[in-house]
Amino acid sequence: MPQAGPQSSKPVPERFVASRATLRLDALMSWVIRVGGIGVVVAVLGILVFILVEILPLFASADVAQKDQAAVSTNTAKLLGSDEAARMPFVFEGGRELKFIDIATKSVTTVPLPIPEGVQVTASSLAAPKNRITLGLSDGRIGSVRIGYSADGSALKPEVIAEEFQPIGTPGQPLSAAAFGDGGTSKLLAAIQGTSVHAILIKEKRSLMGKAKPEVAGSFDLTPLLAGAKPTQLLSSAVGDSVLILTDTQEIAYFALEGSELKLRQRFKPFADLPDAAIARADYIFGDVSVVISSSTGANRVFSLYNQPIPGGQGEQRMFGETKRFDDLPGAPTWFVASQRNKSFATGTADFASIRYSTTQTVRWEDTVPFSIALAALNGKNDHLLLLDTAGTLHRYAVNDPHPEAGARAFFGKLWYEGASKPDYSWQSTGGSDEFEPKLSLTPLIIGSLKGTFYALLFAVPIALLAAIYSANFLPPHVKRVVKPAMELMASLPSVVLGFLAGLWLAPLVEDRVPSIILVVLLTPLTALLCGLIWTKLKPTTRSMFRTGSEWWLLILPALAAIVGGWMLGPWVESWAFVVTDATGKSVADFRLWWPEVTGLPYDQRNSLVVGFIMGFAVIPVIFTIADDALSNVPTSLKAAAMALGATRWQVVRMVSLPIASAGIFSALMIGFGRAVGETMIVVMATGNTPIMDFNIFSGMRTLSANIAVELPEAAVHSTHYRALFLGALLLFALTFVLNTAAELLRQRLREKFKVI
Amino acid sequence: MLGEPKIWLTALGLTAGVGMIVFLLGLILVNGVSVLWPKPVIQFKHAPDGAILAGELRKHQVRRDSASGNIIEEHLVFIGNKDATGSAFRYIDAHAITETTEPKDILVAERMEYGDSIFYPVSVKSPDGKVIPATDAGFFPALHGYIKEGNDRRSDIADIEKNDIGEINKRMTRLTLDEKGGRITPEQSTASRAELQKEYETLAAKAKALRDQQHLATLTYRLADGTERSQAVSEIIHVDAPNALSWFGKLGLFLRNAWALVSEEPREANTEGGIFPAIFGTFVMTILMSALVTPFGVIAAIYLREYAKQGFLVRAVRICVNNLAGVPSIVFGVFGVGFFVYLVGGTIDEWFFSDSLPTPTFGTGGILWASFTLALLTLPVIIVASEEALTAVPRGVREAALACGASKWQSIQRIVLPSALPGILTGVILSMARGAGEVAPLMLVGVVKLAPSLPLDFEFPFVHAERKFMHLGFHIYDLGFQSPDSEAAKPMVFATTLLLILLVLVLNLSAILLRNHIRKKYAGGTF
Repeated sequence: MPQAGPQSSKPVPERFVASRATLRLDALMSWVIRVGGIGVVVAVLGILVFILVEILPLFASADVAQKDQAAVSTNTAKLLGSDEAARMPFVFEGGRELKFIDIATKSVTTVPLPIPEGVQVTASSLAAPKNRITLGLSDGRIGSVRIGYSADGSALKPEVIAEEFQPIGTPGQPLSAAAFGDGGTSKLLAAIQGTSVHAILIKEKRSLMGKAKPEVAGSFDLTPLLAGAKPTQLLSSAVGDSVLILTDTQEIAYFALEGSELKLRQRFKPFADLPDAAIARADYIFGDVSVVISSSTGANRVFSLYNQPIPGGQGEQRMFGETKRFDDLPGAPTWFVASQRNKSFATGTADFASIRYSTTQTVRWEDTVPFSIALAALNGKNDHLLLLDTAGTLHRYAVNDPHPEAGARAFFGKLWYEGASKPDYSWQSTGGSDEFEPKLSLTPLIIGSLKGTFYALLFAVPIALLAAIYSANFLPPHVKRVVKPAMELMASLPSVVLGFLAGLWLAPLVEDRVPSIILVVLLTPLTALLCGLIWTKLKPTTRSMFRTGSEWWLLILPALAAIVGGWMLGPWVESWAFVVTDATGKSVADFRLWWPEVTGLPYDQRNSLVVGFIMGFAVIPVIFTIADDALSNVPTSLKAAAMALGATRWQVVRMVSLPIASAGIFSALMIGFGRAVGETMIVVMATGNTPIMDFNIFSGMRTLSANIAVELPEAAVHSTHYRALFLGALLLFALTFVLNTAAELLRQRLREKFKVI
Repeated sequence: MLGEPKIWLTALGLTAGVGMIVFLLGLILVNGVSVLWPKPVIQFKHAPDGAILAGELRKHQVRRDSASGNIIEEHLVFIGNKDATGSAFRYIDAHAITETTEPKDILVAERMEYGDSIFYPVSVKSPDGKVIPATDAGFFPALHGYIKEGNDRRSDIADIEKNDIGEINKRMTRLTLDEKGGRITPEQSTASRAELQKEYETLAAKAKALRDQQHLATLTYRLADGTERSQAVSEIIHVDAPNALSWFGKLGLFLRNAWALVSEEPREANTEGGIFPAIFGTFVMTILMSALVTPFGVIAAIYLREYAKQGFLVRAVRICVNNLAGVPSIVFGVFGVGFFVYLVGGTIDEWFFSDSLPTPTFGTGGILWASFTLALLTLPVIIVASEEALTAVPRGVREAALACGASKWQSIQRIVLPSALPGILTGVILSMARGAGEVAPLMLVGVVKLAPSLPLDFEFPFVHAERKFMHLGFHIYDLGFQSPDSEAAKPMVFATTLLLILLVLVLNLSAILLRNHIRKKYAGGTF
């Protein structure tokens, strides 16, 4: 490289050319930063997308598509059943055999039924969960066979397990309907014989040695109880604790087993309001608590058991009452099949099929089919719907409906859950048994979140705003440099620490000192006002001993005195104002007893008061910082102008600072709201976490966030429960995001405004 | 003077705010320290039956008996000796106490099981059967000697059982996996298994021999109510006479307790022992999180500030990122569990760890996923702080660099980043403070109440990103709210709280100081 000496005036172009390596590095880094930057931004926005994708399936309806079909060549089929995976359904034609259809090979196997010689099957019914076929015979006997499947290599091998036949009613008379309920050690069998109805209860006597022996423990003639009405249809609950009889008077008689007695509990007309509707059919759905009843006109209703006052009697009893009304079917339903997993059922007419979900009262899927449906079955996994047409072809539909219990109505609406005496908002995601009906209403959780937020803001807003007004207008800068970071330090306190203090320290401390708290809340501001009043009466020379901005530390002692005084006086006020008569007849001064007595609302140790106070630690610094910024940014020229016109310093604050900074203060409140609404650990630790729907300050709540923290670790991946919790998270996300964005836009507007001034 | 009282009312707001933070920190400090400070043992004499109890005073309360309606004033006393009395705490009616003394010769022993014991010594029996009465001058040296021997042997046993036998177990598991994956034949596996079994038996015999020696030395002692009991000295970790200690002696015990807290592993359902794994877990998680979030956050900030065209879109993105800081932390936890744990982790398991399925390796919560989740959570903090720091670098400096012929990257690398570094660092420290204190999202993505092993150790590959870990914040929640005996757990909760608060405060204060320092530095700048 030539030396560019002072004597050479010619410019050397190479000097101004960047080396190729530098350029390459520059291009590379530009690329890295662009890709990285855009990637990070996209990833951050991807959170929202991911959560959305997780919850979308909740709002999808069932996906039903025909998969395959197989010819059975039957036109007299009475029953259609299926194995767990819908690989080998079976058909009963009323004769002495069962036809099993292997869907894969389309071959039909015939298996004989163990029916005694010389009698015919005159009635049959199928209980899907255990694949039990109940048979009524022409000689007045009733019994059942169970269909089992065993794995034979990759194929299934059907088995027919026979059980004993029992005589029922008048011997020798044929049965026209038969039902069977299996409650483990006791079994309830019922049959219609001509115009009479009979039931027998069979109990297994367990002897010390040997096998359990079934014995008839009771036989009942239900005909007199029908009061002359003729029975048309009969059904029994799967666990054998009740029998329903449909009659030609369009009534349903409900018989319940009480001890070893079968008693008539209720007679009701499900379509009393529809004069020309007859009962077309009634069927239990999974769980034995609800019955789907359809009319000849296509009305489709659900009746459930819940406690109702006994008409003309005293007390309450579990009886059927209408809980849900579905959209009408195009006509009287000819077939019905209930799921063995959840509260869904399929029903329809000859050319119309519909899958419906009882809890949410929604139609999951419905369509017309190009053939005439004779019978239907759902398999145990609930993923296949089998339809047998009148021409003897079996159509297999794949049903994909993983979240039937979800939907807008389930999450936000009032639903009439099984066993409840009225529609309600309720969150109870898991239960003890398989028959449990998940209650997924987010409403109590949203109410809980709002409740916690409300009480937190009730406490935090006054303190934070007053402090911000003072610090922005009156605090000397050198003090502010220390005080403001100290307040901000409060925001960094881990919420688990606050929650622990709330639950284990504060809650027991204030449990019996509520009157003290009330006094402290009243006395402290009064003391401050009083101090201000005294201050104005002081001589100017005395006042000038303190600089402006000293008020806050001058107040320390009076405020402490007010707090301690209020705390001490509490029990005295309690003994005077909050007196109740307790269970022993003594009159006691105890706020914890007084509150429920007077308001009828409960009093819990871990309540909203405690949560509100402790959450204040999290919310105050947020509101304070932003409000202080807004107030500090009010142009001094305006304040000085007001002062020059003779306004007092309070008038300047009220007439100038506050109106100008109001938008900023409002945005501070919104951000404070966002902080409180998503707070998790404090709520988890300082409340009882019960999902309730009131705003009682002395009870707890369950918030959306606490609910997620408590339940998500236990929720099965991709279950409805799991996705419902994601929905809760999305609500929180959306709420805080919208609030914060609004607050941010407000603040930016404010800044623009100040720029002009 | 119009409105002056109202100004005083606003002043009260500030007083209340400052008072709250001072009070809260004071409360935690006092409680946390007093837990570690040795308390005097008081001997109470009861009025109705003259029963004698000795213990540490824990709480004084006045309550109304719900059955009789009478007001009862009572003391909660920690009497220890859970093995003898069934419960380590007892409420004593304050009016029934006739006499309280602080006997100098009463001892407090910390034990491996059943918590502390409070007693008068009677005698100690040496391993060879010699009995030394407590009145003998050789009693205390002998007792302390046996305790030390016991402690040494215990750590030897733990070493054998945890490290050596644990290693054998791991090799067994690997064999099973190898056999399942078809890398070795069943015959090879059986042979190796037999070999390992033999090794195991040798080690187990060694541990058993040590264990047998543990029962030899026994201490006989008398409780305050007069019952005599005896137990193996090796069950005792240390013995002190708190009433006989001087202030400096107590300080010594305080320091020992504090050291035990930060260095030992938890015992007795976490209510005794130390919290070392929780401290370590918090530390590793925070470091991992910072290592993940800092580069991405800074790159995003550089992009937004230096490369992206400043327009509506960038402004919108900036607001979004800013607002993300206000999104509840639990939402990030939900995202973490759905995306990292089940989606990414599940996929990794399917691809690389299909041998051990259905037991998940990465498809369950672990320290890596926890760090990723918290990194997302703190990303806005870093981006906002870094952007602010970059904005604060005067425009003139950049232009000067470019005018001197530096490329864009060169000017950023050599000029802009170094000046913005303190600001970026503030953001990093703030994000660490935020991350260290968060618990809600961690509960979903891998924190546990008791982790069998640390996420970092001397075993290959040294960093075990899939392991579950313990965390100070979760420790507080778990001890305070999930433990069966919350009264017994309280001291530990307060001590843990103190540590967590100290950690968070130190991080925050350093960030604040750093920020003030930068402000001063740029105070005269023109921008």
